[in-house]
Amino acid sequence: MSAPDGISLSGVCKTFTGRGKVVEALRDVTLSGPMGSFTAIIGPSGCGKSTVMRIALGLEAADAGEVQIAGTVPMQAAKAGKTGVAFQDAALLPWRSVRRNIEVPLEVLGRSVAPETAHIQHMIDLVGLKGYENALPGELSGGMRQRVSIARALVTHPQILFMDEPFGALDQILRRQMNLELQRIWTETGSTALLVTHGIDEAVFLADRVVVMHANPGRIVDVIDIGFDRPRAPALFSDPEFHKVCDHIAEVLHGG
Amino acid sequence: MAVEASGRWRGMRTTAILLVIWEIVGQLDLVAGGALPGISEILIRLWVDWGDYPRHIWATLYASTIGFLIGNALGIGAGVIFALSPTALRLFRGVNIAAFALPPIAIAPILVLTLSGMAPRIALAALGVYFVTMTATVIGLSQADSRATDVIRAYGGTRWDILRRVQFRGALPSILAGLRVAAPNAVLGAILAEFGGGGRWGLGAYLLGSLGRGEPDRLWGIGLVATLIAGLSYGVFALLASRTIGATRAVTLNTAVPDAAPMTSAPIKRIALTLGTITLPFLVWWAFIKATGVPDLISKTPLGVVDYLFFAPTAESAQTRLLAALAETLPITFVGMAAGLGFAFLLAISSRLSPRAIEAFMPVALVTQTMPLVALTPLLVLILGRGTSLTLWVTISVTFFPAFVTLAQGLALVPRSAEDLPRAYGAGRWTEMRMVTIPASLPYLFAATRLTVPRALLGVMIAEWLATGKGLGNLLNQSRGFLDYGMIWTVAAVSVLLSVIFYQAVVIVERRVLRRLGMATAE
Repeated sequence: MSAPDGISLSGVCKTFTGRGKVVEALRDVTLSGPMGSFTAIIGPSGCGKSTVMRIALGLEAADAGEVQIAGTVPMQAAKAGKTGVAFQDAALLPWRSVRRNIEVPLEVLGRSVAPETAHIQHMIDLVGLKGYENALPGELSGGMRQRVSIARALVTHPQILFMDEPFGALDQILRRQMNLELQRIWTETGSTALLVTHGIDEAVFLADRVVVMHANPGRIVDVIDIGFDRPRAPALFSDPEFHKVCDHIAEVLHGG
Repeated sequence: MAVEASGRWRGMRTTAILLVIWEIVGQLDLVAGGALPGISEILIRLWVDWGDYPRHIWATLYASTIGFLIGNALGIGAGVIFALSPTALRLFRGVNIAAFALPPIAIAPILVLTLSGMAPRIALAALGVYFVTMTATVIGLSQADSRATDVIRAYGGTRWDILRRVQFRGALPSILAGLRVAAPNAVLGAILAEFGGGGRWGLGAYLLGSLGRGEPDRLWGIGLVATLIAGLSYGVFALLASRTIGATRAVTLNTAVPDAAPMTSAPIKRIALTLGTITLPFLVWWAFIKATGVPDLISKTPLGVVDYLFFAPTAESAQTRLLAALAETLPITFVGMAAGLGFAFLLAISSRLSPRAIEAFMPVALVTQTMPLVALTPLLVLILGRGTSLTLWVTISVTFFPAFVTLAQGLALVPRSAEDLPRAYGAGRWTEMRMVTIPASLPYLFAATRLTVPRALLGVMIAEWLATGKGLGNLLNQSRGFLDYGMIWTVAAVSVLLSVIFYQAVVIVERRVLRRLGMATAE
């Protein structure tokens, strides 16, 4: 159960109190993503999958249990610049250009931007936004904004990459494309990834293991290892084996 | 329910603590030698004076109710027309800005000159209502769900079908929210007309009549009753709204004069419309005078004012007096407004740092939205005397609260993920504030400025009129005494014009800045 350089949650519990109702968001969540692994969390709305990520990021404190990110507590890892994050909505600052939005993590961490100029440009090219460096978020489509937020997540050369439904706003074609890109980036950088998603095929295509969660209380019901060889090609999406795995996860997801 | 109940409990606790402090301070005569009496003294005096109240309350209630009805009829009618015709909306933009920005105290004497009996009070109450209801109607109607209108259209529905089946129902929450804010406005309008118009009955008249007597407990009693009436009028419509449609949103409404979509029509039409927008307010003014049939000696048309100020034998003296008054009024208006906005901004920003501290303050700030604050100027006279500090504090108090509520509610709309982002990289509160909260608050700072420009001028003029004997407010009051009709109309026209110009200036700067920053204006 030791994953000193990856993601490790053990026995994490979290309850929210709001409007007089007590919601058990997470019950005894134990999850480990060893260094260099790709973990996907899948589950219905309200199962607490985003809460898992917020706790791993240090944005929420767990009521009980232990959380280790890159061998330390979440906030410590964040301050050391070891993490990168892409949220469900792009969360861009509307008054900053694409490039300046991508620079935000560097500024927060107090690093200078100048030595990273080439890297930033590379990230912009990578997500297909060449020529839009100086555009404001209001001038971009939803999909383009989402891609800015992915470039932003990668700008710090993170050891650990957190993504909360980063492709939710994209159409199916673009989504497939981004899945391939993400796999490539993840392989290149050798980072540890945690992806929260609604899409079963996306999870199976990208992840080494898929964590399935149920709601009320939010808990992990199954962890399924995905054994397909890497790098995975687009043809995998139409492989019968692939569909068998997806069907199995769908069954677990729907309480089968 | 636990959270709500504990919030309510905390609110009650805050109120109770404030009341106890008030009582102690009052009993010990700690403020300006007894200018602030204890609650018990005020209530006892209220009991003793109770015989006087019914006629005053009745007069104020009568004027504000009739004004409320007329103002709403006009506001909803105009709102429907504006929602249907962007051209009409554009044409009336000048009139609408004037209706929003004019300081009621400036036109009260004019209404008294041209109308008789209760009519001036009713007119001012209606004016306070018109803008709020009109805006709420336009916004409500134009926010209709486009998918729902598509459904009606797909089955061959007409414009009227859409209006009837989708838009009116969809606009209801917005209109009811408008009525809630409009109701205390009507009370305030009636009281201000009573300040400016003489007459024996009415809470404003009662307040003014008691000001010279040095009886703080009576003044506070009247202020309390006026506040209660305004607060109750808000409460009635708040209850109605939540009963019928569950619309219990904010007590503030947008300060933006609704604007039609950018014009794509021919340049000639555009120029004609712009000219119409500017001329229409003056036409309304002219038509109003013709309709009332008051002799030329007393009522001045726009041309009459120009003649008085530039061509009449007394023109030079009139100009000198007007400029002197402006030189006194304008600086303090800006200083007071800047201070009110500044305090509100700092408090709203710091409320993000310590949300709990502000949680206790927010209910107080919200309650002040339903209070006829300017009408309480006589109470401040007791405490602060008749000097410049009075003007300053009146102005700050009428600008601070609405600005704070606008800013705080705006900041609450900043998406959580935008603030999470710096935090996810370990940013401290200050970095988060510098990178996200402060830039994000900019649209709301502009909205608050738009809202407070006219209020600041109103606050200054009231203080000048009632107490300090300086500036435009005083010039207006004096001219009344001297039967200097030309000056009354001039001051009214100039103060409305200034308000409109300042408002428009803020709008222009706002558009420029926000467009460059890629942000939308806060409605």
